[in-house]
Amino acid sequence: MRHPVRTAASVAAVALTLAACSSGGDDAGAGATDEGPITLDYWAWGTAQQPMVDAWNAAHPDVQVKRTDAGGGTDSSAKLVTATRAENAPDVAIVEYNTLPAMIVAGVATDISEHVDGLDSEFAPGVWNQVTFDGATYGVPQDAGPQALTYNKKRFDELGIEVPTTWEEFADAAEKVHEADPDAYLTTYAPAEFGGFAGYAQQAGSEWWSVDGDAWTVDFDDEASVAVADYWEDLVDRDLVLAEPLLTPEWNAQLNKGDILSWPAGLWAAGVLYGVAEESAGDWAMAPLPQWTEGDSSVGFQGGSAVVVTTSAEHPEAAAEFARWMGTSDEAAAAQIEQGQYPASLSGQELTLESDPPLLMPEQEDYWEIAARITQDTIPEISWGPDVNVASSAFQDAMSKAVTNGTPFRDALTRTEDEVVADMEKSGFDVTQK
Amino acid sequence: MSTATAPRPVRQRRLATGRPRPASRRTAMLPTVALLLGALYCLVPVAWVLVASTKSSSELFSTFTFVPGTGLLENLGDLFAYGDGQYLRWVWNSVIFAGVGAVACTLVSTMAGYALAKYDFPGRKAAFYAILGGVLLPGITLAVPQYLLMSTIGLAGTYWSVLLPCLISPFGIFLARVYAGSAVPTDTMEAARIDGANDARVFTSVALPMMVPGMVTVFLLQFVSIWNNFLLPFIMLSDERMYPLTVGLYTLLSKGSGTPSLYSLAIIGAAVAIVPLVAMMLVLQRYWRLDLISGGLKG
Amino acid sequence: MATALDTRPARRTRRRWVAPWLFLLPAALLFVTFLAIPVCYALYLSFRGMRVSGGGPFGVRSETWVGLDNYATAFTDPEFLAGFGRLAIYGIIAVPLTLGLALTFALLLDLPRVAGARFSRTAIFVPYAVPGVVATLLWGFLYLPSTSPGSWVAARLGIGAPDVLHGAMLYPSVANIAIWSGVGFNMIILYTSLRGIPAEVYEAARLDGANEWDIAYRVKIPLVGPALVLTGLFALIGTLQVYGEPTTLRPMTSAISQTWVPLMTIYRDAFTRDDLSLAAAASVALALGTLVVSVVLLRVTQKRSFGEVS
Repeated sequence: MRHPVRTAASVAAVALTLAACSSGGDDAGAGATDEGPITLDYWAWGTAQQPMVDAWNAAHPDVQVKRTDAGGGTDSSAKLVTATRAENAPDVAIVEYNTLPAMIVAGVATDISEHVDGLDSEFAPGVWNQVTFDGATYGVPQDAGPQALTYNKKRFDELGIEVPTTWEEFADAAEKVHEADPDAYLTTYAPAEFGGFAGYAQQAGSEWWSVDGDAWTVDFDDEASVAVADYWEDLVDRDLVLAEPLLTPEWNAQLNKGDILSWPAGLWAAGVLYGVAEESAGDWAMAPLPQWTEGDSSVGFQGGSAVVVTTSAEHPEAAAEFARWMGTSDEAAAAQIEQGQYPASLSGQELTLESDPPLLMPEQEDYWEIAARITQDTIPEISWGPDVNVASSAFQDAMSKAVTNGTPFRDALTRTEDEVVADMEKSGFDVTQK
Repeated sequence: MSTATAPRPVRQRRLATGRPRPASRRTAMLPTVALLLGALYCLVPVAWVLVASTKSSSELFSTFTFVPGTGLLENLGDLFAYGDGQYLRWVWNSVIFAGVGAVACTLVSTMAGYALAKYDFPGRKAAFYAILGGVLLPGITLAVPQYLLMSTIGLAGTYWSVLLPCLISPFGIFLARVYAGSAVPTDTMEAARIDGANDARVFTSVALPMMVPGMVTVFLLQFVSIWNNFLLPFIMLSDERMYPLTVGLYTLLSKGSGTPSLYSLAIIGAAVAIVPLVAMMLVLQRYWRLDLISGGLKG
Repeated sequence: MATALDTRPARRTRRRWVAPWLFLLPAALLFVTFLAIPVCYALYLSFRGMRVSGGGPFGVRSETWVGLDNYATAFTDPEFLAGFGRLAIYGIIAVPLTLGLALTFALLLDLPRVAGARFSRTAIFVPYAVPGVVATLLWGFLYLPSTSPGSWVAARLGIGAPDVLHGAMLYPSVANIAIWSGVGFNMIILYTSLRGIPAEVYEAARLDGANEWDIAYRVKIPLVGPALVLTGLFALIGTLQVYGEPTTLRPMTSAISQTWVPLMTIYRDAFTRDDLSLAAAASVALALGTLVVSVVLLRVTQKRSFGEVS
């Protein structure tokens, strides 16, 4: 420290030496030249990805893709942001629909409109809307997660429960289940499931973020959302549903025992449940999500993801081509279906009709037909704000607190809204709180 | 503690070290029981994970906690098959991080500690206080700036990004300084100098051999601390294949929405990870000079 | 200590000036690169912030100077502050119990005629070799009703088992993990320190008619005082840095929020919310707090632990 100049020079020297030594494979994409094949780095989680990447690599010798599993949705998007800032982000990455706006604002996702001209016709409008903002396209949808009710048919039959078509019937069923078997619960209200709640609220007609020109309006505690919060609060208060985190060892054990009878969640639920309750496969079935108003058929999304090209990509065109292939090719769709994902593209969804039902419900012949019907009814106009990450973390904490302390669930929505607005104001957005 | 009230013969206790006592004497019951309870408390979770690793996933939730199951071989097979043998890569990474990191850190610390203890030079006081400050600084709050720094020099996401910050351990330097101060006599150094040895030679052939026990301690402390490190690799690395064990096991537990956590894999993985490290601790226990930390500090 | 640092009048002043710095060089370089520069960078970053620059609803953000905004945000965030409150409860449980148990075990080990002392000592030390993430995993399963031995017994007896992952029980449950991991290491430090006390000290006390309890209380504990201060300091620093245990437990209970302790808030701000500047400000505040606490503790105990440079 007495020799600042010498020290600084040495630090620089060390840094250079180290940089020269670092043969770590994080920047393979940078090595591509015009002569040799291009290598694209691709961050993606989930079991379906590697088979899809292998299929691409086999068919495209000039553009080879190297996949890295950088963790699930939350971890992966957090790392994308920091990696982008550090300028070592991959070329292509999977991003969940609801975090895509945050990825755009953080400068992770790049506008690929020019490379995906005419692609919109391959997707249902509700799906395509998830990747289009302000007229620009930032990704290619890969899988879709319209909400549905995955339920334990065997236990439903045993306890004499009809599949509910409205949330009112669902509440009655919850009561009946708990009466018939005090250990059993119809479902779980997991306070940390931001995406699930968002889906229920969208179905009820809420609009958390809306944008008009440059001006944002944020409204988490609108009438519809509050009604949804009150609905679940009532069920939790009456001890008719479990209020616990999902997929804990505890929850898995109860599920296996047949004490948790259903899960209203994205279509991917079948794959998840199969992972934790393989032995009860065959007992399960899927039905459309209950409705707030009888006769309605609209549902919201929960989960689902798009392939985005990052601002760090050295070959955006090749990267966009890869994204397009991942989202729309039959080979990719087939690999997804096999792993229990529901493809986002219309052609992929058509392909499901010729496929076997998921492993969790091998006997439900009409599974894919119902899935296709549900997808057509998804709400087309859902807009996520630029700070879903803030909303999600605020919601999880506020809702967990409400459940733990027994305070009104609707207050958690107000608290979330306050945090979201404060964050947007701080970032300099033009935002109105409603 | 309160039991030891009986007056005991004055010569009960032999010299400072209190070697194993003659078996013929009456055992002090309460201290013995208290210690055994402590041992039980510390062993129960380890015993649990060893038992649980033998259970199949359905037995895990249906049989009594400490009844062994029948799934050990299957669990082991699953573990080593996971992600094309990813688990073994994690073990290997941990061994590399902790092994290389601890060896290098020990050398760096020994040299620095030796210099601080045996030389008087301008800047010594400043260097010592800087190191003292480093001991007190919560290393974990540095993780974020360290990440950004690594990114700036293009190392984030590489092995170096985890290895390099582990090489500097203010506490290791501090211990080495304490040990060099007490274990290397200045007279011996002077004698070597008079014989014509230069500073480098005095260090390598006089001081270094004398400091070996202290170096082993610094090595072990640093090895365990790198082995157990979670936040630094968690932040620095994004490629699962480069994770150390702690981060790898954590990712098995939290796969994110839409993917179930792999609890049974995490359990068998934890069991397999614990066994060698505990074995190493037990074997190397005798080489620890932890009195360095305590005894050497009496001002 | 002072004797060890004796330095003879240097005959070759210049050489003795260069050589120590050469020995110190690798450490100094690493220190500057990985401690000093990041600290300064964190400080710089804490005055910066990401603000939307371009127009449009999805304007990309860029970094600008924001003054003390981040500090103001951190210190007016009720959750961040509440995290310190929770940390205090946790620390009040974990620190005294870890040190108390470690000291008790060390004193017991040092007593004559204790059977199986070697076994107990080794067993109590074993958790030190278990990484925090793994320790939390093990305890987490022992806490969860479906795998807990307590619940199994309770269920057979037809009584309800206490839920240790919610409500007031949560603090002792999390603290227990830290205690379990920390007792052995601290015990060994104190024990080796006890063994370093010359036997004559005890002989004298025994001749005066002191029993083992008196010796422990009047002789041993004061003599291991410096070691106790040091272990206490590390326990305290460890408490301020609690992160891994609650984070790993979080998926198992909704009672642990993402802002349960300050470091979790910092992590969330930095990575989940992409607000590095706010995280940097909070880090700087936490680091300063730790330094102040450490210095105060050392002052109070009269610097007995860290020897001064002569």
